[in-house]
Amino acid sequence: MDTATRDKWDKTSKRYDLMVSKGAEKRWEPYKRELYSNMQGKVLFLALGTGLDISLFPTGLDITAIDISPKMLKQAEPRVAAYDGNMVAQCMDVHDMDFEENSFDQIYTSCTFCSVPNPIDGLKALAKVLKPGGEIRMFEHTGSRIFPISLMMDLMTPLSSISGPDMNRKTVDNVRKAGFKILEVNNVFLDVVKTITARLPEEPRG
Amino acid sequence: MEKRLYFVFGDLVSNLVVGGVVGLICAALFSTSWNMIIAMVVGMALGMIIALVVTIALFLMLFGAMEIMVPNMLTGMVAGMIISMAAAMHEVSLWSAMKDGALVGFLVFVVIYIMQSRTGGKVDLNEFGGGE
Repeated sequence: MDTATRDKWDKTSKRYDLMVSKGAEKRWEPYKRELYSNMQGKVLFLALGTGLDISLFPTGLDITAIDISPKMLKQAEPRVAAYDGNMVAQCMDVHDMDFEENSFDQIYTSCTFCSVPNPIDGLKALAKVLKPGGEIRMFEHTGSRIFPISLMMDLMTPLSSISGPDMNRKTVDNVRKAGFKILEVNNVFLDVVKTITARLPEEPRG
Repeated sequence: MEKRLYFVFGDLVSNLVVGGVVGLICAALFSTSWNMIIAMVVGMALGMIIALVVTIALFLMLFGAMEIMVPNMLTGMVAGMIISMAAAMHEVSLWSAMKDGALVGFLVFVVIYIMQSRTGGKVDLNEFGGGE
């Protein structure tokens, strides 16, 4: 378990809803709802946080959600319990998951790979628990290729990473490096906030 | 592109306020005793820090995360650079610095919306080296 990341998000958990529930989450709601409308089969949801996204999930699904922070999950409990479907939330580090290989049909992430310390390793770990041909669908903020926004985000990252995420991750490249085939990328805000859809190759693992 | 009035209003107001505050502080701190280039570089960094603080304190919770942070930081950077440089070259009143900062904020708001209209939506995967 990556205790530094766990402690950082434990510390943020008390003020997390206050910080993002009215502004960011309301702003992103239509895009996330559209992304989640594709949920089907056995789904792994990564970085549940306080469970703000649960209200946007379609009902009646079989969802396993994980988060590294027990304090975040504690706050998510009522939202998990209120979900109209089968939902389990577990405290787990993406680098060290307990699931069997090929366990899930789809994986969803929401503002997750800005914070995972080793993103390519984390994505490779997800690839292992995803069935061959399975999809990963992500809502992420990443670095920008637009100057001077790119420079600004590089400068901001040492500050932002103290209590929250990195601002300059190359998440699309990382997804490809982890062995996924990129199917679609949609920009939500400039080239900074985006949805990414990728698929594992069909061939069984060697 | 954002069309919900609440968020458009938030984007506009936050950029105007951040620009105004950065202009005011930079005009108060820098004077003709500063070297113009040093004032510009220090003003740029200071503008970004002020923008970050003002954005987190006033706007982040109400209007969004990256959609607020990125334009406001850009406003802080540009306003800090221009107004600090101007203050190192000649006398700048606090009122005009505040107005100029707010004007920078307005221009950044417009530029970001134009950029957003061009970059939003489906991305050509060749930008990322193709779909494979």
